[in-house]
Amino acid sequence: MTSELFFQLLINGLLIGMLYVLIVLGLDIIIRVCNILNFAHGHIYTLGAYVYWFAYVSLGLHPLLSLFLTLSLIALFGVVTYLGIFNALQNRFTPYVSFSHRMLYSAMLSVGLMMILARGIILIFGGEERGAHSIFPQLITISNVRLPVEKLIITLVSWLAMAGLFFFIYKTKMGRALRSVSSDREMSAMLGVNTTWISLVGYTLGVIFAGLAGAMVVHVYAVSSEMGSTMIFISFVVMMIGGIGSYKGTILGGIIVGQMMSFGFQFLGGLNYLAIWVLFMMVIIFRPGGLLGEALD
Amino acid sequence: MTNKRLGKVIITILGLIILLLLPLVVKNPYWQHLFIMGLVNSVLGMTFSMIFCCAGMVNLGIGAFFAIGAYASTMLVIMGNWSFWLALPLAVIITGIIALAFGFVSIRNPGVPFVLMTIIFAEIVTQMTGQIQLFGGWGGFIMIPRPDSIGPIEFKTKLPYYYLILSLFLLIVLFLKGIYTSRIGRAWKAISLSPHLAETIGINVYRYRVLAFVIASSAAGLVGSFYAHYSQTIAPASFSGFFSILVQLYPILGGINFYILGPTLGAGIMTFIPEYLRITKEIEPIITGLLLLAIIIFFPGGILGSLINFPHLRLTVISNRLKEIRAWLSIIKSR
Repeated sequence: MTSELFFQLLINGLLIGMLYVLIVLGLDIIIRVCNILNFAHGHIYTLGAYVYWFAYVSLGLHPLLSLFLTLSLIALFGVVTYLGIFNALQNRFTPYVSFSHRMLYSAMLSVGLMMILARGIILIFGGEERGAHSIFPQLITISNVRLPVEKLIITLVSWLAMAGLFFFIYKTKMGRALRSVSSDREMSAMLGVNTTWISLVGYTLGVIFAGLAGAMVVHVYAVSSEMGSTMIFISFVVMMIGGIGSYKGTILGGIIVGQMMSFGFQFLGGLNYLAIWVLFMMVIIFRPGGLLGEALD
Repeated sequence: MTNKRLGKVIITILGLIILLLLPLVVKNPYWQHLFIMGLVNSVLGMTFSMIFCCAGMVNLGIGAFFAIGAYASTMLVIMGNWSFWLALPLAVIITGIIALAFGFVSIRNPGVPFVLMTIIFAEIVTQMTGQIQLFGGWGGFIMIPRPDSIGPIEFKTKLPYYYLILSLFLLIVLFLKGIYTSRIGRAWKAISLSPHLAETIGINVYRYRVLAFVIASSAAGLVGSFYAHYSQTIAPASFSGFFSILVQLYPILGGINFYILGPTLGAGIMTFIPEYLRITKEIEPIITGLLLLAIIIFFPGGILGSLINFPHLRLTVISNRLKEIRAWLSIIKSR
């Protein structure tokens, strides 16, 4: 293996990893704040990609305007689904309901949502693969390692979104409420935190992150209606390898899995998914809480 | 008490008679195929509700053990030239051993890690059977031989298959019924109420959980072996993680607290309703999904749970939901 190939694969892996990190951060917020194992997350990512594609290609809007449109539509979708579906479930749980019961019922609901979304996307946008021209087709070449400007900008936007999220969670008042609800729901309700409102905010925030990842992927990869279903398993793996609730761990997990996708596809071909699943098993058997997280009940 | 017992006996006998006479009354082969698939799905649902109710764990990897049973039996019959009647029990044993090995390492963390490990295990089985040529590759196996005929009974039409799966179904039901009322079943009940409390009164929670997992997975392997020889084709793509996700719908729909009747009812409904919706082929998953959402939100105990609590089932639940949504909309408006 030449050093150029090595660095090329490394860079590609980092770029894929950033995408995973963005999606999984959303999944992480949803599972921590609302106790929802969101199976629909992958399809929300697909929805974001299609909405962005529709705004950018079919309507011919400016990329920033279409990004804004996508994010606001996805946020609206999140608000409607949370209030219409998940909120009913949250209100039914007493404090004694265990985490696995909450997860099971919310997983059921999100499976229903996933079925609706998967077919709805095909009905509205058609089943064909879609794509868009890249906005920045330039390449930066550093000693034979090619860096597409497009992917660099995607990485930059991901870092900005992450920085914004961390600022929101750790530095604002609502972020503090978000963290308190995620650590103890009943106690924070007793202390005057409006848990339903905070859960709504958390769910919408998580969904927006999936939508952002979907919108950015349009310029790089082909968009298909199937891409959400493979993404959802990979994002569960990333979430567990890093550790649920550990944002640092999510970034670490995203980078590891991204590298495995990139190097694995080069050297193992189709077996790279198997390698990722086996790595997941190994990590969870020896460290059930993930690399940087703590084990949940 | 005696009245309740009498009612149970009458319902059981009626159900048995209906199940026995069903394919004789309905002669359409397509409908008979649906009955067979309904019984297969209800056994899978039972395995889910068994692990959920007895061990308090959520197993989303039932498809993996279904696939292992199917592949084990197929490979024994095709490569080893075994008879189906010998391959069936051996497939169950192979599935049980794999389940024991998997449960041994995974049940140490019965919460969220277990859920995701099982679903990823289903994906591992799919990828392995697809990528490794020994297991048939992504094309899977076709032309799997039918079961050998026993005396005059030949497996040419759907009817013998129906009675075969019905007898397997009844076998599993009797076995589960027996084990639920035994000492083991009482231990499971204690664990489902509170694992920590069960541990303090001397129940080895880990061992009983592994036992539940192995029994349930072996039952899935049993119907998997039947399914391979019934449909005569198996492909890895049909056992992916999404198949396992759909299995959990059956017990929840029927009522998760009814170990045997709930999954059967749920599987019957979920097998037949999508077929009816084939008329509206395009939006069929949408209607199924909406139905699922409505049942979980408005009838939390499943169909059976809601029927039993029928006098308490108030229509005000729906109006309360509407009121809640309206209140929330006003709060959002004011912000």
